[in-house]
Amino acid sequence: MTKRELREQRRAHRLAAEQAAVAADTRRRRLWRLGIAAGVAAILVATAAAVSSSNDAPPPTADAASIVAGIPESNGVLGDPDAPVTVTEYVDLQCPICAEAARQTLPALINDYVKTGKVKLQARTLSFLGPDSVRAAKVAAGAQEQGRLWAFLETFYTSQGTENSGYVTDDFLRDVAKAAGVDADKALAFADTPQAQEALDRANGDAASIKADSTPTFTIKRGDGPETIAGVGVTDLSAELDR
Amino acid sequence: MRRSAVAVAVVGLGIATYLTIVHYAGGEPVCAVAHGCATVQKSDYAQLAGVPVALLGVFGYLAILASLIRDTETTRSAAAFLSIGGLAFSGWLTYVEVFELDAICIWCVGSAICMALLAVLSTARMLRSPPPVRVRAR
Repeated sequence: MTKRELREQRRAHRLAAEQAAVAADTRRRRLWRLGIAAGVAAILVATAAAVSSSNDAPPPTADAASIVAGIPESNGVLGDPDAPVTVTEYVDLQCPICAEAARQTLPALINDYVKTGKVKLQARTLSFLGPDSVRAAKVAAGAQEQGRLWAFLETFYTSQGTENSGYVTDDFLRDVAKAAGVDADKALAFADTPQAQEALDRANGDAASIKADSTPTFTIKRGDGPETIAGVGVTDLSAELDR
Repeated sequence: MRRSAVAVAVVGLGIATYLTIVHYAGGEPVCAVAHGCATVQKSDYAQLAGVPVALLGVFGYLAILASLIRDTETTRSAAAFLSIGGLAFSGWLTYVEVFELDAICIWCVGSAICMALLAVLSTARMLRSPPPVRVRAR
């Protein structure tokens, strides 16, 4: 091998070593960047979770149930008990669409049909969203015992929090009950009785019998006729009721 | 790989834009799963500090698309950085859907899949691209 060839060979080795060092350095820097990206992503998620969990619901107020004020209620049935049509709403108190329906669907239904004696409105309080729903539904059953179910539901919706975040404490339910004109102590005491569980079982059984698998589901029953699903979600029932 | 990432980002941007429009229009998204989309869209988790998460998605996908315009070491790193952040955020939202809301929003799942694909494509693109060539003065 000539001197020139040796020099060329050493140069090639040196270039290859330099290139390998550059490649290793680049890989190390890229892995570092990925690690930083993962760390930033973790901080992002933790921040998002913290911000979301601080979404406090407004406290219940006495005027939340003004829509049902002055309407007779008996055993959870709102309106004239002799009204020819029964509308049943299957709800879960934690369901945000139920709260939306309370704001968008119920006012027209109550003002145009319940207050005019055309329709009586009843609720079946389901509890499939989680343990907070169960406790809320049992206290709602206690409010129903006092003829204040609809006031309780309407008031609850205005203070609805993040599902299953643990906001449905007895203190929260007590505040809702008081704002709705319910004797809170009696309602919470009723929630611990077997009758409260029976009310939940009855609601679940009724929902199963009409195959209601989401909330809110609205059904219509004319006289002794069959109960049929008229709408699901935020819906306008007037076309069905005027038929 | 960059073209695939652009295609996935465009799909994700379409989903996020649709959900943003539905959010501001006050309607319910077309949904294959009974009211799951509406439940998620109306929940407290649909906004973060008052900003709709769908709108955050639009910004995220636009940023990723912007990082895919040029093919340099910096833009490749930016794409990986953004898509990994997006994947983590989508993962958290999917956790919320399944374990907190008990509702599945098929659009949100679609967006999460887009982010997962983008994270894989962008990371692979960054790691597999050749190291920058250093011109050596003689």
